[in-house]
Amino acid sequence: MIIEMREFTRVEGNGKAEIVIEDGEVKDVRLQIVEGPRFFELLTLGRHYYDVPDLEARICAICYLSHSVASVIGIERAFGVEVPGEITLLRELGLIGELLESHALHLYLLVAPDVFGYPDAIRMATKHGELVKEGLALKAFGNRIRVMVGGREIHGINVKPGGFGRYPTVEELERVEKESEALLRLARRAVRLFAQLDPYGAQARHFVATDGYLWGERLVSDEEGAFHYTERIEERSLVYSFAKQSRYKGEAFFVGALPRLLLKSEMLTPTAKRLFEEHREKLSSGYVSYNNLAQAIELVYALERANEIAKTLLDRGIEGENVPVEPREGEGIGYVEAPRGVLIHHYRIDGSGKVAYSNIITPTALNHAMMEASLLEEARKLYGEADERAMIGRLEETVRAFDPCISCSVHLVKF
Amino acid sequence: MMDKLKLAVFELTDCGGCALNILFLYEKLFDLLEFYEITEFHMATSLSEGNHYDVALVTGTVSTQRDLNLLKEARNHSEYLIALGTCATHGSVQGSVELPIREKLKAVYGDGGNPMRALDSKPVVEYVAVDFALPGCPYDKEEVYQVLMDIDKGIEPVRKDYPVCIECKLNEYECVLVKKGLPCLGPITYGGCKAVCVRSGLGCIGCRGPLPGEVNPAGEYEILKDLGYDDEYIVRKFKTFARWEP
Ligand code: SF4
Ligand code: SF4
Repeated sequence: MIIEMREFTRVEGNGKAEIVIEDGEVKDVRLQIVEGPRFFELLTLGRHYYDVPDLEARICAICYLSHSVASVIGIERAFGVEVPGEITLLRELGLIGELLESHALHLYLLVAPDVFGYPDAIRMATKHGELVKEGLALKAFGNRIRVMVGGREIHGINVKPGGFGRYPTVEELERVEKESEALLRLARRAVRLFAQLDPYGAQARHFVATDGYLWGERLVSDEEGAFHYTERIEERSLVYSFAKQSRYKGEAFFVGALPRLLLKSEMLTPTAKRLFEEHREKLSSGYVSYNNLAQAIELVYALERANEIAKTLLDRGIEGENVPVEPREGEGIGYVEAPRGVLIHHYRIDGSGKVAYSNIITPTALNHAMMEASLLEEARKLYGEADERAMIGRLEETVRAFDPCISCSVHLVKF
Repeated sequence: MMDKLKLAVFELTDCGGCALNILFLYEKLFDLLEFYEITEFHMATSLSEGNHYDVALVTGTVSTQRDLNLLKEARNHSEYLIALGTCATHGSVQGSVELPIREKLKAVYGDGGNPMRALDSKPVVEYVAVDFALPGCPYDKEEVYQVLMDIDKGIEPVRKDYPVCIECKLNEYECVLVKKGLPCLGPITYGGCKAVCVRSGLGCIGCRGPLPGEVNPAGEYEILKDLGYDDEYIVRKFKTFARWEP
């Protein structure tokens, strides 16, 4: 017998799951990504490098800046271009804006309705209007940063190899400094709210993240030694899904807010670090559902860090100079932490500046196996115990904890 | 009191941006909700209540059989259907990859292929008649707000039919094509975005799709050639958001 879950709601993109029951027991779970393939690597092949980040941004609306930044870094590494601190800090600020926007959307509009028992945030707003408003305030602030750094709320083209089209003004940075301070109170409240949730889903055994907090030169995991994705991560096609599945040394693994905290807590800002320590025991259990709590702690991190960056840039002043980029034959990988986890853009570029090879792996593809494992575990726990509707509801929450971004996951290509 | 109009959002294969952009209306979303009731919008709600919609917004391209079924469903059950965003109106980025679907799938999933049924990505307007088409990757959110308010008042919304250049003039942005020699598609692209990319000092990449009619793609082609861009570059640039004629 197969129990079919209908398409997931309150997630980005289109996916569903089948629960396979044999002899009265849950035998298997298949997570099906039904979103059509989007062929991004094919789209970028043969393209001039300068246009590539703007196209890659279209992979995903929720984390378009992560894609443009990963793309730009991959391209710069291929050419051996180094950008100065100012540009690096502004890119980081952009990623922070994205983290705020995305986590606020996920926690307040997609997950909170589960906590309070509503089908959506709009209906939840009648009783919990304040909370919804707080979420929207955080989200709007994140989006203002995305407009400032990225050029638009969605799919801006301001992030370029070697720098930016336009640099922020002093007034804009002052506003970031002020607002990030004012909003911190809301983020701390979110931590309290999500700390109360009971654990569900599987306990992850492997965690992977970039070696810096929001991007890196390589990846790190719970085992020792930084590595390139090609060394330990393998992808395979599935017959039932448009997304591929990745494994770390053959096993399911977890990327996202929780892995970031667990692997890189020493890089956190002061309040975020304190909150992490306070909840360390829970978080270390590795239950995927604690990703929600981890995201709330990251809201605090993002606001504190945005404040630091704005201060630093205001102190030293913005020069607004781009670094000249000369195409040459080369290969480069951009590793970025998109809000929902590690994002990899890998390019080979020819002497005339055209893309000759590209590979992109998104967090949702990396988490695919872990999502299946979590559904399986949860289904085994609940089958026969809860009624079917309650079970399916909880399974959907389990998927939601990953904050999956299904549109992103469907465009792999290998030559 | 007048009954609220029933509003549905259907998402086919796309980046999620055009659906997400509705949530980015913030307070204006709550203004809209005075006139509309959302009865289907799976990114935002777990409810799914209707089989009749006054207004359906469809985002994305038809890239699978599922997409096609969903689109037909939406068309059959709605009074007024809006193709929302460049995916739905012109095919956008995934629609612009010019290879037969079999070859594309092979490149992605290897020789084993993928048994799930994929179709060549095409815009919504290729399959069904739409009552309004609002392009943009993503569209300008103020514009969708205006369109929905117009419909509620019984006014047929107006499609913007002027190029991005007009918006540069209105906002007094310096022309990046003439002044900086950047490959800007503003002269041949549907306006309505307030020329936001030119605000960043960058050339329009044509995300609202090609403007038909009096515009002159041949002229734009000549300008870009004179600026030193090669044929292949120009052609690819032109076709990034629309392989299909609008
Ligand atoms: S038109 Fe652009 S923003 Fe809208 S769904 Fe398609 S790719 Fe995303
Ligand atoms: S300027 Fe061009 S690329 Fe930018 S939003 Fe407008 S139409 Fe799209």
